[in-house]
Amino acid sequence: MTTNKIEIKDLTVNYIENKRSFNALHDVSFGVGRGEFVSVIGASGCGKSTLLSVLEGLYTPAGGSVQIDGKELHGTGTERGVVFQHYSLFPWMTTRKNIEFGIKQSRHDVKRSERAKIADEFLSKVGLTGFGSKYPSQLSGGMQQRAAIARALAMNTEILLMDEPFSAIDAKNRVILQELLLKLWEGDGSEDRKTVVFVTHDIDEAILLSDKIVVLTAHPGTVNEVVNVPFERPRRREDLVKTDEYGKFRNRLLSLLYSDIAERIGGDEVVL
Amino acid sequence: MTVKKRYLRVTHLLFIVLLLIQLLPDRSTKEVFTSSLVTFAVGLEVIVLAISAFIKKEEGLALLLDITGFVFVILAVWSLATAKYNVLNDMLFPAPGKVIHQFVEDKDKIWVNIVSSLGTTLKGFLLAVAVAVPLGLFIGWSARIGGAATYITKFFSSIPPIVYIPYGIALLPTFKSVSVFVIFLATFWPVFAGTMSGVLGVDKKIIDSAKVLNVSKPEMLFSVILPASLQQIFLGCNQGLSVSFILLTSAEMIGARDGMGYYVKYYSDFGDYTRTITGLLVIGFVVIGVTFLFNKLQNRLLRWKR
Repeated sequence: MTTNKIEIKDLTVNYIENKRSFNALHDVSFGVGRGEFVSVIGASGCGKSTLLSVLEGLYTPAGGSVQIDGKELHGTGTERGVVFQHYSLFPWMTTRKNIEFGIKQSRHDVKRSERAKIADEFLSKVGLTGFGSKYPSQLSGGMQQRAAIARALAMNTEILLMDEPFSAIDAKNRVILQELLLKLWEGDGSEDRKTVVFVTHDIDEAILLSDKIVVLTAHPGTVNEVVNVPFERPRRREDLVKTDEYGKFRNRLLSLLYSDIAERIGGDEVVL
Repeated sequence: MTVKKRYLRVTHLLFIVLLLIQLLPDRSTKEVFTSSLVTFAVGLEVIVLAISAFIKKEEGLALLLDITGFVFVILAVWSLATAKYNVLNDMLFPAPGKVIHQFVEDKDKIWVNIVSSLGTTLKGFLLAVAVAVPLGLFIGWSARIGGAATYITKFFSSIPPIVYIPYGIALLPTFKSVSVFVIFLATFWPVFAGTMSGVLGVDKKIIDSAKVLNVSKPEMLFSVILPASLQQIFLGCNQGLSVSFILLTSAEMIGARDGMGYYVKYYSDFGDYTRTITGLLVIGFVVIGVTFLFNKLQNRLLRWKR
């Protein structure tokens, strides 16, 4: 019936804090097509990370459903690779060992001897050749995220879930990492693209990377609008940001992002 | 490093002063074995010179020379106070040469006692670690009943392990097994507590990271939780180790037939204070040696921490 890789329907998540339950996500529905790059954006506290936790299998929703390939999602699974903002890598393993561990978990057909080779291949793809025997604490934040991406890619999963992977990185390196991810994901067309759900609060990051952007509104988290990104691929940041369309599109997203806040200001509800 | 920096050091001057002091006439009524002291000092100086020729780090060399300098000063003061001016009771305070001479004479006996002491300690200690770590991982992780377990642990670890000795003697067949039992108890509780607090303190992000990789339960415990709580485990082990030595030597003084504590107690009962002091110094060196090796192991296993 559906051709979507991930189908989220009427998803409701409640958080219990101090014995009071509050609604983190309310009736969230959207689909992610096969090989599609979808970003979820929203102000902090809108439940975008909670949404990803549900997709990761770390959080059980109170209502609604998540289907992957038409099958109900239950718990964690190695068909989904994950990159977190922090601690994606185990600090006691070298970068190479971290990647090998990921491969071991998701690809049972790969022999032990081959894992190191695959690990080195992906280290070189993210520009970390020669850093395989370093521990995460010996790498900068940007390099750690490169290694985390290398592991997620080396696991060769069809789905990639990324929870604000570049938020803790300084502005210059963030741009570099965004372009690296874009290049790796777009590939050269010889392989199927991965299905990606990418959570961020950075509008420019979302526009550069995504096919589709889901804008969430807070309290409770609901989908404000799902917007298709109209720009051709392969994309280049320099070419993109120069165009008038980019500016217009960005403004539209901004107004969507802040529409709820504007409404509330109009209703004298929010003290900023 | 320049040659001047490498060899022109106060320590070597102290060495010469120590030798010059030995030229003074002896005033002690007892034998003082000046030749043993001189042999020891020359041997130490030669070793230090050899090491300083090869050492690369300047801080390392400075540390080595400072420690050696201290040793020379202590030996100089010690021999002045005993052999040379006899200001201390020469029955209670043997000259340094005499202690060194005694050590060489007794070295086989001392070796047997060291092996016996270390064997007992290691048995109790390793047994405790082997039981406490898996148990702490399991209880700390599953069901998270850690809170209750923490209070129970606090209660048991607050009992000074030495009071188990009389009960142990009633309970177990040999004094050796009593020592192992008491060291086991002394190590078990701090290691168990350390492991549990380590497990309870593991960052949730690391656990999430492991969960999304679909690790199995044994893998979660031994490949994730164990390394993540290793630092706390080592804290417990360090505590256990230092208490173990105190306990062991105390136990040996109460009723053992061998071991370093026994050596010290036995000879002081006979008024042989040369051997008593020899024993004290040997215990110091053994404990330092074991602690040093243990720290090496710890640094090796925790090298991923910055």
